[in-house]
Amino acid sequence: MTTHTAHRKRPRRPAAVFRSLSTHALIWVIGAFIVVPLLYGLISGFKTTSDLSTNPIGLPEDWVTGNYTELLQSGPFWRQIFNSTFIALATAFITVGVAALAAFVFARFAFRGREAMFTLFTIGLMFPFAVAILPLFVMLRSFGLLDNPLGVILPQAAFGLPITIIILRGFFRTIPGELEEAATIDGCTAFGFFWRVLLPMARPALATVSVLAIVTSWNNFFLPLLVFTDQQWLTIPVGIQQFKGQYSQDTARILAYVVLAMAPALAFYSVAERHLIGGLTTGATKG
Amino acid sequence: MGPEPFSRRTFLSAAGLAGLSVPLLAACGGDDSGDSGGSAETVTIEWWNIATTEPGKTLWPKLAKEYEAANPNVKIKFVATENDAYKAKMTAQTASGKLPDIFHTWGGGVLKQQIDAGLVKDLTKDVAPWLGTLLPISLEAYKFDGKTYAVPFDIGMVGFWYNKALFTKAKIDKPPATWAELIEDVKKLKAAGITPMALAGKEKWPGHYYWAYLAMRIGGLPALQQAATSNDFTGPGFVEAGRRLKELADLDPFQRGFLNASYPSSDGQAAQMGNGKTAMELMGQWAPSVQSDAGKGLGDDLGFFPFPTVDGGQGAATEVFGGGSGHALSKDAPKAAVDFLKWFASIDVDRRLVESKGYQPVVKGAESALTDPNLKIVNQTLGSATGFQLFLDQAFPPAVGQEVNDSVAALIAGKSTPEQVTQKITQTAKSQ
Amino acid sequence: MALSTLKDGQSEDAVAESSAGSAASGRATRRRRRWNRLTIILFLLPALVLFTLLVLVPILIALYASFFRWGGFGLPSDFVGLDNFTRLFQDEVFLGDLWRGLVLILLSIGIQLPFALSIAVLLNQRLRGRAFYRLLFFAPYVLSEVITGVLFTMIFSPDEGLANHLLEMVGLGHLNPTWFADESLVLFTLFLVMTWKYFGFHMILYLAGLQSIPKEVLEAASIDGAGSWQRFRHVTLPLLGPTIRISIFLSVIGAIQLFDLVWVITQGGPVHASETMSITLFQFGFKRYQVGYASAISVVMFVISFVFAIFYQRYVMRRDTEGAVTAMRGLR
Repeated sequence: MTTHTAHRKRPRRPAAVFRSLSTHALIWVIGAFIVVPLLYGLISGFKTTSDLSTNPIGLPEDWVTGNYTELLQSGPFWRQIFNSTFIALATAFITVGVAALAAFVFARFAFRGREAMFTLFTIGLMFPFAVAILPLFVMLRSFGLLDNPLGVILPQAAFGLPITIIILRGFFRTIPGELEEAATIDGCTAFGFFWRVLLPMARPALATVSVLAIVTSWNNFFLPLLVFTDQQWLTIPVGIQQFKGQYSQDTARILAYVVLAMAPALAFYSVAERHLIGGLTTGATKG
Repeated sequence: MGPEPFSRRTFLSAAGLAGLSVPLLAACGGDDSGDSGGSAETVTIEWWNIATTEPGKTLWPKLAKEYEAANPNVKIKFVATENDAYKAKMTAQTASGKLPDIFHTWGGGVLKQQIDAGLVKDLTKDVAPWLGTLLPISLEAYKFDGKTYAVPFDIGMVGFWYNKALFTKAKIDKPPATWAELIEDVKKLKAAGITPMALAGKEKWPGHYYWAYLAMRIGGLPALQQAATSNDFTGPGFVEAGRRLKELADLDPFQRGFLNASYPSSDGQAAQMGNGKTAMELMGQWAPSVQSDAGKGLGDDLGFFPFPTVDGGQGAATEVFGGGSGHALSKDAPKAAVDFLKWFASIDVDRRLVESKGYQPVVKGAESALTDPNLKIVNQTLGSATGFQLFLDQAFPPAVGQEVNDSVAALIAGKSTPEQVTQKITQTAKSQ
Repeated sequence: MALSTLKDGQSEDAVAESSAGSAASGRATRRRRRWNRLTIILFLLPALVLFTLLVLVPILIALYASFFRWGGFGLPSDFVGLDNFTRLFQDEVFLGDLWRGLVLILLSIGIQLPFALSIAVLLNQRLRGRAFYRLLFFAPYVLSEVITGVLFTMIFSPDEGLANHLLEMVGLGHLNPTWFADESLVLFTLFLVMTWKYFGFHMILYLAGLQSIPKEVLEAASIDGAGSWQRFRHVTLPLLGPTIRISIFLSVIGAIQLFDLVWVITQGGPVHASETMSITLFQFGFKRYQVGYASAISVVMFVISFVFAIFYQRYVMRRDTEGAVTAMRGLR
């Protein structure tokens, strides 16, 4: 240890070394808490179910790749990935587009009833999705939106509006009024200012709310379950439930499915992480 | 179908009206008076079922294809949904006032609600010509006020499925005929270090079989039917049924962790039996096929005995508890749907269902297709039954049925008394 | 209601905050006002239509239905006044839901959040691999509840599961718990899964809060001779106040609305031991066809969340309200 630290300008005291070691140890323990369940799923997917039931901890006796490869070659799986992706992107697009317009008005215009209306939107947050589902379903049917991706996209967007409007309004407010004055003097209309100045400036906030909308949509289970009957529109969470019913006895295969279904979310997350965290940061600390 | 490039056009077409489902919708919209002109117009019928497990998973889509091949003007939209999800979806469908053309039903209270909501087609006239080919008992669950609302494809009964090898190991030479003997056998099995019974506590319905059968054996079938009409379940027979069940539960006969065990999963009730870990389960005619699906299956070691009688009880051993499945039609299902049901209930199709070992015969004469000795016993017991009671959670209105499941589950878990069970069920029934 | 407020705004002559100072002729101002009015209407319209149609209307239908005995078919006709509500507050299961909700909330505030906070503090130090840890700890949050539920059902399976094998490895095999099948253990096991899934989210909030604390303040405290615990207790914690209050708020609302995870893992069992309000609501609405009664549950859930939100904002958060609701939906 001493030889290792000797060449540093300020040799660390043993206490500090110990502290840093124990910090790392602690983080590793917590990391194990997070990682072990994921690894368990990943490795179990390479086992046969009978191997799994006798030997849940160790490495597989033989590495069976069939569970994964069969899924990767199956049409329905890719179809579900595509559906989930498409619905998530469309949801995010509509939610953020519609909410940005509203948030802009709430942030930059003064008019009577503004706060009341804003409160109305925030109340939407207190209402869990499960509550509205039956009336919502009846309405979707009367709009002819069953077995139509819009039947999932639009309600998700509607329920996503409150949070998105709140975050965006907070952000739009931080943009100095002088900017708008300058833009107005340059002959910008309100929309021009919104489109050409505000939105580009708000890119981090937009990224955050988009990521939130995508994650929420990706994970939604109940609405797609009810709206989609046609197999070709199934999304990933519904697909897992379906798959679990079909292969209930084949634990290893289900775990393989679970792992593969996680992969896109984790991949997307590792790319979007910066935005999500950055945006939550600004959103949470602005007060 | 692989992911398509995400272009503005695909988005618009999908957003406009799911591009892919347009042909289907158009077909739905087309009126089905197909016989005008030379080329018959195509009719699409939507068929909702729960055939997501074997043998139905492979067999049923094949049957649908065959029917399409034989009837070129009919297209079948085959929709198989996992059991639990199916129920949730059907609730939403019912609430929205439109059911699929052909849908799976267990009959009883849920079907009654759908009928009362005016959503189900009265099949009495359509099926009258060929109704006689079906076993009368298989139609029971779908008849209301003398009208028939569904055509069965499976009918069966609940009884004890047991592992002969484990019984022998515990030195039990013959299956119990009375409740007292059953209790003794449970003790013997425990003493021999064998888990006597498997139960799926998470799903509740398997637990209610015990209580229902006990009520039938103690109070008798008439008392149960009387209670269903008077909505009063506080009679002595019901309380006694609860006591007997508690007596069993107090022996701790079920597998470890049964309270969160599901029925078909790899560590669930069926797998416990199928892998030879427990000695018996109280289950319907489908038990052997699920056992060998979820576990290894017992083969010749599997035996069947009817629910034992209770000393001093009113009920006979020949009175059976069970149910089946059928297909009902939506109010405005096309005529082709009726034809399909007729075909599905033909002896040829029924024999194929029976041969797949997942279903019991509903058509007279199809029983000769039974090969499995245990399934034959079930069929014979059912055939010689002197009384029949449909599953309580199907027979009663949904709220009452669920309350039976819930409060019996609480009783088995030791969280409720026999009296509380009867009170709760009565309370729910009266508030209907 | 929403539309009438809009009209009020119109007659008020909407004024863009920024244009107030600009020196323009009267005609131009009037034209500008007209433009502003149009902008307000056009910009708000999509959000209002979407929100009203797909959120407010279903909610109002639920409110209306809660006064009826209604099976969900046809129009509700059997008006029962407040019967559903009086029945609800005599229903042992529902009262149990309230109690279990409270337990989950207390566990979250007492264990999960401090846990998240300590990790945030650890990760706020200069530490090799900090970005990686941050990525790792937050990862479960993006996984769907269904996936998480399926995974942990298998992990906590009594005989074949990973958890009991791990216990055996560390010499605790004799405990051999049944986890989700044990009435006295199920809620805590569920809480463990919730912690796994959600603590990363709170950790990120705290990290954000910590990073906004100016270094000079902490340095000043350290020059004044404050130890690391004292610095944390007297400088960091108070400055983190707003973030902590938000995190508690989100945690409470999330616990009240908990559904998917429980549904996949236990469906509320064994014998209601893990049942939440949403689960009871679902049982009545979807399995028992008592939609009127289920609607009453939804109304009560809403009132509880709402009253909590109002009181919390008024008495606890006071100034720092705005960010409060950040990312709440994600917490369901």
